Amino acid sequence: MKNILMGNDAIALALIHANVDMVSGYPGTPSSEIIGNFQKFRDKFEVQAYAQWATNEKVGFEVAYAGAIAGRTTCATMKQVGLNVASDALMSASYIGLKGSMLLIAADDPGFHSSQTEQDSRSFAKFAKIPVLDPATPQEAYNMVKLGLEISSTFETVTMLRPVMRVCHAREICEVDEKLEFNPAKGEFQRDIKRWAAVPPAGRFRQGLEQIDRLEAIKEFNWTRLIEPKLQDLKGAKTLCLTSGTGDGYVKEAMEEMKLEADILKLDMPYPLPKEKIEALFVDYDQVIVFEETYPCIEEQLSSPKLHGKLTNDVHKIDEFTKDKVLMAFSNVGLINKNEFYKSDKYAAELPVRPPNLCPGCPHRDIYYAVMKVFKKKKSIYPSDIGCYTLALNQGAIDTVLCMGASVSMASGFSIADPDKTVVATIGDSTFMHSGVSPLINAIYQNHKFILLILDNSTTAMTGRQHTPERANPAKIDIKKIVEGCGVECYEHEYTPEIEKSIDFMKSLKIKYEEATGPVVAVIREFCVLDKERAPEKLPQVFAEVDQDKCVACDICTTQYKCPPMHYNEDHKIEIDPFLCIGCAACLDDVCPTDAFVKVGEIK
Amino acid sequence: MKYQVVIAGIGGQGSVFLVKVLSIAASLKDQKCLGTENHGMSQRGGSVSCYVKVGDFHSPAIDQGQADLLIALEGNEGLRNIQYLKKDEGTIIVNADSKFPKIEYETIKIDAFDKARKKEFPIQALNVYMLGITLARDPHFPFSLNEIEEAITQMNAKMAPKNIEVLHQAIEDSRSI
Repeated sequence: MKNILMGNDAIALALIHANVDMVSGYPGTPSSEIIGNFQKFRDKFEVQAYAQWATNEKVGFEVAYAGAIAGRTTCATMKQVGLNVASDALMSASYIGLKGSMLLIAADDPGFHSSQTEQDSRSFAKFAKIPVLDPATPQEAYNMVKLGLEISSTFETVTMLRPVMRVCHAREICEVDEKLEFNPAKGEFQRDIKRWAAVPPAGRFRQGLEQIDRLEAIKEFNWTRLIEPKLQDLKGAKTLCLTSGTGDGYVKEAMEEMKLEADILKLDMPYPLPKEKIEALFVDYDQVIVFEETYPCIEEQLSSPKLHGKLTNDVHKIDEFTKDKVLMAFSNVGLINKNEFYKSDKYAAELPVRPPNLCPGCPHRDIYYAVMKVFKKKKSIYPSDIGCYTLALNQGAIDTVLCMGASVSMASGFSIADPDKTVVATIGDSTFMHSGVSPLINAIYQNHKFILLILDNSTTAMTGRQHTPERANPAKIDIKKIVEGCGVECYEHEYTPEIEKSIDFMKSLKIKYEEATGPVVAVIREFCVLDKERAPEKLPQVFAEVDQDKCVACDICTTQYKCPPMHYNEDHKIEIDPFLCIGCAACLDDVCPTDAFVKVGEIK
Repeated sequence: MKYQVVIAGIGGQGSVFLVKVLSIAASLKDQKCLGTENHGMSQRGGSVSCYVKVGDFHSPAIDQGQADLLIALEGNEGLRNIQYLKKDEGTIIVNADSKFPKIEYETIKIDAFDKARKKEFPIQALNVYMLGITLARDPHFPFSLNEIEEAITQMNAKMAPKNIEVLHQAIEDSRSI
């Protein structure tokens, strides 16, 4: 049956077709749609399956892993930096193995589209000693979900699927199973303390030896099942291209379009590789080039003077693939002359940059505006975190972004290192639940003096508005109670578009801070303007325009407030784009020193 | 058949909707189709560029100098992606006013913002409007009006009548370009 699927749709559908009935994970671009789509397919097909967001990736992994220990067919989803968070669990799970099967989906982001690193999860799989599959297209992702679970079940190991953004968010007409026969495995935990309780040292040596044997067996599987059947397609060219994932498509297309001669061998499982058998193929070739994203994972497993890749400076080392980069590699190894077929001139004049920004009407903007009004830049440090609010960088209201939860622990560090400044840290509600709580306990425990603002819009907004723990269980989980339980008072501010109220609240926190000996914590109750359930009643629908006579082009609104509808017109006066303004009315209050923002229709 | 489309715009303008419509249209023609979209950071009012490749392709992204068509939902975003067009055969369909510079590519220009401002069509349907202009004015566009209408209906049957109305209005408006 043919179906038009985005990569993350294809993965979700394959999970159902492969009888997965436990999925757990944490949102992160480009992986976020997998769980939501799984829930949609589950409901559409009316089957029973657990598919829920966890508080973070480590928790998500552990929920799914326990399921697999108990014999179920499970899956954990996350983005590549989420795998860092889950890695503690993964490293041990790799030694211990499992009874059912488990697919770990770690979605990578070559080109840094939505991520702070370009790390290669295949190399992480190699470090953790688990097999990894690297799909090139949504169709392959669909097929490899099933293959990965088969490998997991056969070898009793967690198996990784590593789709990149250009697979997760690619769209393709895919061939998928016609019928759904959903027969999930029954969960039944069988006590085996020596295996399931990772206590050193004796049992660990044995499991370490088993892990080595397991990898050898998987290498053999990789050769007989995945590599050997492809050898008949090699045509005896002088050059062999070893490809992995999306790299394969770029190489194939460039060769077809440029009419180049080379053999291509795609390695579906880039780790573990049957090194000696692959190297034996090199005898027939003058040179071998490895095309992979983003680290030299395959290249590092092989050795031959004929081998070219990132380690020999022949293939690009950073950023996404393009066909131009394929040609460059071919030219670097002397296969073709320098070729600029895939190059074309950019528009010559400078174009205004359009960085992502907080949405019009977003409460975050007002809160950061108020923070900067009360806690002046010269005397403050603003550590922040991962989420939509990171975009307050545009307002100059954020100094540091590191990783999930780091705002709180870095606020501790800055308060020790530079005590003359006021540290004002900001973190979102989902990120606070993810990894903000333990650094807050640490700060209270150690009396670190700073201000922490928890910006609670009750959704994981940046990744597509997934539910948060508080949103799903408002009667049970409350940020205020969590903060109080950690040991300090939690001040609370209900956001409204009247900016003065937010400024007054920040002033009250400043007084608390002056008297405090430890962290001063506040939760700001906000909403997301894209949240269809909550936003409509919160927005006053009062639209603004600019009194051109009053505008003095002082730049305050375009630098400190930065609402997308505000821009300069040809007369060098500010104008509000009526298509973008959503009527929050916030700018009418405090933003303009000459009161040029007025309600639509009020200009006489 | 091989036909490559770049869709450029601003987060929130509905570029991804066009990727979906064109992939459905390709399936109706029994053609292979690979495309790719921007999610996440780029949604928040930032620059967005999406790719659709109809025919026998292996990778979802489009290289410079390869696109047959560039649909630009906003002028500057069109210029920002102009290097993707084929040098001699590429066409840009762009939503821009009279200040849009003269460029060395076949350019079909319409000030859709002005028409939306005059309430001639709802701004939310800008993507469909520009698709209508494309249907009417790109002689190499591989899909027929019927195929696009069917694709829009398959995308969202409830919204289809309104979208198809905008599509027809754009085709009508294109006569005066």
